[in-house]
Formats: sequence, structure tokens, C-alpha cells
Amino acid sequence: MNDQTMTPEERAANLKGMGCARKRVEDVRFTQGKGNYVDDIKLDGMLFGAFVRSPYAHARVVSVNKDAALAVPGVVAVLTAEDLAPLGLHWMPTLAGDKQMVLADGKVLFQGQEVAYVVAENRYIAADAAELVDVEYEELPVLTDPFEALKSDVVLREDLAGQTEGAHGPRKHHNHIFTWEQGDKDATEAVLGEADVVAEEMVYYHRTHPCPLETCGCVASMDKVTGKLTLYGTFQAPHAIRTVVSLISGLAEHNIRVISPDIGGGFGNKVGAYAGYVCSVVASIVTGQPVKWVENRMENLMSTAFARDYWMRGKIAATKAGKITGLWCHTTADHGGFDACADPTKFPAGFMNICTGSYDIPVAYLAVDGVYTNKAPGGVAYRCSFRVTEAAYFIERMIEVLAIKLNMDAAELRRINFIKAEQFPYQSALGWEYDSGDYHTAWDKALKAVDYEGLRAEQAQRIEDFKAGKTRKLLGIGLTHFTEIVGAGPVKNCDILGLGMFDSCEIRIHPTGSAIARLGTISQGQGHATTFAQIIASEIGLPADDITLEEGDTDTAPYGLGTYGSRSTPVAGAATAMAARKIRPKAQMIAAYLLEVHDNDVEWDVDRFAVKGAPERFKTMKEIAFAAYNQAIPGLEPGLEAVSYYDPPNMTYPFGAYICVMEIDVDTGEWEVRQFYALDDCGTRINPMIIEGQVHGGVTEALAIAMGQEIAYDEMGNVKTGTLMDFFIPTAWETPNYTTDHTVTPSPHHPIGAKGVGESPNVGGVPAFSNAVHDAFRPFGLVQSHMPHDHWRIWKIANGLGMHG
Amino acid sequence: MELSDEIRISAPRDVVYQALNNVDVLRECIPGCEELTQASPDQLEAKVVLKIGPVKAKFAGEVTLDTSNAPDGFSLMGEGKGGAAGFAKGGADVTLTEDGDETILKYTAKVDIGGKIAQLGSRLIAGTAKKLSGKFFTKFGEVVSEQTVS
Repeated sequence: MNDQTMTPEERAANLKGMGCARKRVEDVRFTQGKGNYVDDIKLDGMLFGAFVRSPYAHARVVSVNKDAALAVPGVVAVLTAEDLAPLGLHWMPTLAGDKQMVLADGKVLFQGQEVAYVVAENRYIAADAAELVDVEYEELPVLTDPFEALKSDVVLREDLAGQTEGAHGPRKHHNHIFTWEQGDKDATEAVLGEADVVAEEMVYYHRTHPCPLETCGCVASMDKVTGKLTLYGTFQAPHAIRTVVSLISGLAEHNIRVISPDIGGGFGNKVGAYAGYVCSVVASIVTGQPVKWVENRMENLMSTAFARDYWMRGKIAATKAGKITGLWCHTTADHGGFDACADPTKFPAGFMNICTGSYDIPVAYLAVDGVYTNKAPGGVAYRCSFRVTEAAYFIERMIEVLAIKLNMDAAELRRINFIKAEQFPYQSALGWEYDSGDYHTAWDKALKAVDYEGLRAEQAQRIEDFKAGKTRKLLGIGLTHFTEIVGAGPVKNCDILGLGMFDSCEIRIHPTGSAIARLGTISQGQGHATTFAQIIASEIGLPADDITLEEGDTDTAPYGLGTYGSRSTPVAGAATAMAARKIRPKAQMIAAYLLEVHDNDVEWDVDRFAVKGAPERFKTMKEIAFAAYNQAIPGLEPGLEAVSYYDPPNMTYPFGAYICVMEIDVDTGEWEVRQFYALDDCGTRINPMIIEGQVHGGVTEALAIAMGQEIAYDEMGNVKTGTLMDFFIPTAWETPNYTTDHTVTPSPHHPIGAKGVGESPNVGGVPAFSNAVHDAFRPFGLVQSHMPHDHWRIWKIANGLGMHG
Repeated sequence: MELSDEIRISAPRDVVYQALNNVDVLRECIPGCEELTQASPDQLEAKVVLKIGPVKAKFAGEVTLDTSNAPDGFSLMGEGKGGAAGFAKGGADVTLTEDGDETILKYTAKVDIGGKIAQLGSRLIAGTAKKLSGKFFTKFGEVVSEQTVS
């Protein structure tokens, strides 16, 4: 079979372009143990760094004695804030407009805070010597509750004393960071005052942690001869890190090369800048040797960025018939000791204002107060776009609470309030323009797939049986219809430290018709090398297998803001398509010239340009590529390449319908997920297999968060869940079977109509699991109970409802 | 964390009380005790090596005694610092009741623990504390009985 006898469909299939369940090209190395992670990097003369961390959550640092540590053979240096101060590096800026101590400057604000940095010939010496650094502390009162912190006389941030203006407006109290308001307060309160029904509830989304399999780390290597710093690290945003390092170190940006090698999961944990990076860079500059720092698991859980910790008080107004008329939300956000949230600059509470969800709510008001406490800083988007999972959990709980108040079926309540397909593009009351959606179709498909009516009948029978003493197990049906906002974002309102949140792709086609593409993003397991090659394959007709994808080296990749917030496909994916489309006109000119016809007389046909009306006369992209490297057309510049910096006109709004069916034992609190159905609409689907993998992974993380995972503190500020003994990571034993499904509503503004999917399952999964627990106990009077729903807390729900006799 | 227990010791109350205030006896009985010195009549300084789960560290501590209730009992307050391993602080009330030739020792202790031992060892602390206090009183019972016999 040759090119002339193959049908266009067969030629398209050979490209393995968009829509193909192409196997992940990355897995060849990952499944053979041939990945190259930060800790695999070994450089000549490399030293190792280890931190001395505070055992106290709040204490004054009276003195630091390094003598015993420095006396250990193999110890090269011990750095403290005093050593960094002359360089101005004892504090560093955070992504949220605050500043953060690199090493304790007079006091510590959370357990695990970095106090000193020991540099030694190997990691064992460094760890041993770190234990010998003698730090004298003077304990201070500990504040772990944000509501208490706002009332307390104890000043956490003495460096900010007297500052009534923060990065995001006025500060109301010495432990207050910001107030962020969206929507129409007066109109919303007027609606609440006149409504038939108002449901009110406090919805807490507990503190948890992304806990990637690979912890954070870096290798800093300063070449004193060339003056060039190479920084390898677990960076989700390598270019932004390069700019930050340049700004805070004073090194010229062209003399800094940041490389993100293979990354073992990020989930938001690897977006920010950490003390370990700064100390390693300083140590390498001082010693002239490469310095490696890699966190252990405890350090990761207790010091690098946490997620959530939002106390969301909600009021939702509706008519007797269940039509929602208004939504009010006040959130108290626990940010820990420093405000190191990773959000676009103008959004101190991220996109929490997506909290009207999938519903047509005429008026709404949102206020968020950020608060300092004696906990670790962070507040990153753990497998979600900035605070979207908090917003989705809030509205999906409030819908359930309203359904109880109205004595209505929660599926029907959702249906009558969904934004209708014909209302898109839809302007939400809190300021977003939803690009596209068809929620009713997705909802009906989901309910039918699980036989919703049948499940409710079974549940009714179960309740009868329970009351008759025939069973001790309840059945919960957890419903969720979520709408995300991802793909940050339009430069007009999205930037980080002043860097617009565009992204980029550069494509070079080689003479023999293969290609390399470089992007401003960085895969941490998403499979970019697989999917972005598929976009290019479909756009310019070269087989995906012949396209190399490279990310993460700032010396070679075009500038981009990195991978988090489901932004890679919406932004860099768009840049990829646009770069490919920039190549096509030149290819068309070359083809027409070679075919001796006018440019307008050839047309695109899968992998070639063919003469209109004479498809047997054509030039394949492969032939065109080769011609491009000779003098294809007299006077035409040789080569075939393009670069695109894509500034998206809008966010994308993926959505989905998730249903969880859960069995709960009221006597032990044990739960079992009997069925989990996940319908995702992420617009155009690039690789169905990767989408399915993302949904499986994301729902499993959602299961962890909803059913057990948390960063818990005791009243002394001790992290009680600092190891994997206590921090719940599901294994195959706890992980249920998932059914995935989809509808396709393309984004109208994205070049290929894709919306992004990697984080949807976490956003939709958490409320689905939590609602299942609540739904099981609803007939017995439960309205709201805080996550995580571990066995003990479920047992307590049953006990509190008098179900233990 | 709260601990309490009741131990019967085959020695009269006065002997038990004096032994509890005898630095040499205590040094011999406290598991992992490397140093114990009497800084003042109501103050002791100690260096103790403790192992809780995967954390092994030397704790330097100070203990203040309140003997106003002697010989029916006494109270103590203390604090120990284990550097990177963390810290512990707390207090205990001890009562001694005569029962013929024997003495019943009851104690209740409240201890707060912070740092790495609180994180890594949280599952093990209660068990370890019980084991250590068991070791202490077994040894203490032996030493005091020997003294009584001799």
C-alpha cells in the first residue's frame, strides 16, 4: 500500500493525531527505570544540603550554635539567616506579594521552618551534622485556628507590625492578610432577606497536601569560570523560577539556566520557590561546587506548600419551587505563617469566584479573608486550578444543604438550576464568562448510566431494612455537577509577579520531515510528549511518532509560565496549534511552487497539499520539508519553523457529572465505594487513553482527600500527619473501580476546542465522595459534617445521630 | 498525653520517699539516664537518651520538685529538649500511701510533646511512655527493696 492508494482516513490514522489513543512515549523510559529525576543527577564534586528545622510552631530563636556541626569531618558550611542577610537573601518574595524567611530571622512561625542549612560532602554527614546544630528557642503562644488568630493579641508577623496596607489592600488586624470581595453585596443580601427559603451552612475544606511521589529538590551548580548558574529542580514553572532567581540573586537572567528534568508528580506542590532552592544556590556560589538538596517525606509534608484550609460560610436563597435566587459566601482562609499562595497576582483567593458553579444564579457575593497562623505556608492548587476545588466543594455542598431544606431530590434541584446550553457564553454573577457547556445533556446521560431512579429505590428499601434491624449498612448516592475554570490565563487579568500567563511553542521541522517542538510548559506525568505531538501531527500532517517534544530547559525552550492549573492544553496546547498553523502557509507556497500552480490552487489534505480537483497531484509535508531546506522558491528564506506565544482570550470551562455510590457500615464507620461514574466534558479530546488515565488518577486523589487525607495540627502546632503512616495515600486496596464517560462541547475560543482535563477529577471527585457520605445519613438528620470522612469521623456521625442504640 | 499508674513497692513509705529524692537511686533507675545532678534542693538536671520509634536522641532537661506535701507525696514539673528530635514538657503528681510494710505509689502525669518525636513517634509515644515508666518502677522497686533488706 502506498500514499496514492491509502484513503484520507487511513493516512490520518497513520499520523496518530488528535483523537488517537496513542500509547505514552514517556513510558518507555519510566517503565524501565530509566527516568532522569533531580535526585538522579550526579555532578563532579557535588555537595549536599540539609536543613535544621524548628520543632516549635512559634518561638523566638535566641541563638544558633554551629560549632559542633562544623567540627564534623566532611561538613563544609552551616548557613543561618545571619550569613544570608548581607546578601539580602535571608528573606525572599512569595508569589502572593508577601515575603518569607529563607532561614529563621529571629523567630519561627511554623513547625518545620528552616533555621539553618548544613552543607556537607554527602547527605548522611549533612543529616547527622544538622542534628548537632544547637538552637536555643524561647517558646511563644501558638495560634493554629484562624478565627482565634484574628482575635488574638499575639502578633505573628512582627516584621509587618504597624503595616495596615497589605499586597491586596487594607489589613484589619495584625494577623489579617487581605480581604477580597467579588459580586454585589447589597443586592445579594436583599435577595437573602426576601427569599422563600435560605439555607445556611459552614463548609470546611480541610488542610491537605499534594504529596507528590517525588518530593521537592534541586541541584545548584555555579560555574565560576563562565559565571553561569545551572539550576536543576523539580520546578513546575522553570522559566518563572529563572526570572525569580535572577530578581532575588542579582545574577543576570542569561547567566541562569533552569532545567526541570523528569518530575515525579507535582500537583501544585512544585510551583513555588522554596528556601531549599535559595540556600542551595547560595551554597554553590560560596563553595564553587554543585550543591544538591532533596526533601525527605516528612519535610515535604510539613514545610512545602499545603493545599485548601478554607472555612466557607454560605447562604443560598431559593424559591419554594427550588429556583436559586442568590448565593452568599464568606471564606476565612488559613494561609499559615507567610502568604505563599500560588495564585495569579490579582486573585489572592484564586478563582474562588467560580463558586456559583454550574448554576444560573442571578446575584452573588463572595468575600475572602486571608489569615496568618502558626502553620506552614502554601495554599497551592492541589490538582486544581487556583481554589477551584474549594469553590466546587462549597457550591456542591450548598446545593445538597438546600435540597434538604426544600425536601427535594438533589438531582432535580441541580437540573432546574443549571445554566442552559443556549445561555452560553454565560456571564456569571461573580464576573466570569463561561465559554461553552451543555450541562443538561451530561446530567441526563450520567443519571441514566447509573440508573438513578433504581438507586434511589434501592436506597429507600435499605432505609426500611435498616429501621427494621435487617442491616447495619447504609447506602449513599453522591451527586456532583462541577464546572471548572482553567487555562490561566488571559494576560489582561492573569499574571504571576508581573509575568503574563501566556504560553509558548516553537516547532522546527527537519529536512527529512520529522520535527522537534519545544514548549514553555513541563510535564510531571501529564504525557505532554505524547499529546502535544498529536496536536502537531493533526495540524501539519507529520506522524506524531516523528515529532520530539522538549520541555523544561530554559536555555532552549521558549518562555512560558509552566504547568499547573490545567493550563498546559488550554494555553500551551493552543500555542502548539497556532505555531503549526504558522508553518502551513509557507508549506503551501512551497507545495504550489513545486506543483507549478498558484498558491490558492492547492488545498490541505491530511498530510499534504493537493491540487484542487486533482488530488493525485500533491506534495506531502515530508516532501515539502525537504524542499524547504533547499532553494524551494527563488528568494524564499530556507527552513520551516515557527514559534507562537499564545495569550488566551478567555479561560476554558471544563465540566462534568460524577456519581458515587457508597456503602457505609454505621457500627465501624467503614466505607466501600460500590460504583463511581465519571462523565467529563473537556471539549475536544486529544488522547482518550490519557484522559482516562488522568481521570483515574484524579479521582483516586479525590478519594484520598475526601476520605482521610489531611494535614492535622495539635494545639501546640505539631504536625500530626507528617508521615505516610498517618497521611492517607490510597493503595490498590482502597481504590475502587471507575467508569469513565464523556460528552464533547468544544471551547469556542480555543484553536482546537480543547479545555483541559487533568484536574477535573479532583475538583468533581471530592464533592462526589463527600456527598455520598452525607447522602447516606441524610434520612437520619445529617446536614453537614466536615471532611475528611475517615472511619472514626463517620462512626462519630452515626454515634451523634443516635444510631448506636 | 496523660499517663497514670499505681505501683506497689515492698518498702515503708519513708524509705520510698527518700529513695525518690535520692539522685543516685534515680540515676540507676531512669532508663537511658546518663547524667543526673542535684542543682539545688528542689532542682535536678538530667541527660537522658531516649528512643521512640525511629527517633533516638539525647534529652537535656530540668526538673523542679515541689516537696511541700512530703511524705504523702510530691509534685514535679519538667522540661526536656532533644534538639532536632523535639522536646517534651509536663508535670506529675505522685502520692504515697502506706499499706502495712508496703507502699502504694500512684502517679498522674501530663506531658506535651513537640517536634519530630511528636510526628514520627505519635503512634508509639503512649506505648513507649508506659514501657519506660514500667522499667523505671520495676527497677525502683528492686533497688528500694534491696535497701530495705540490707
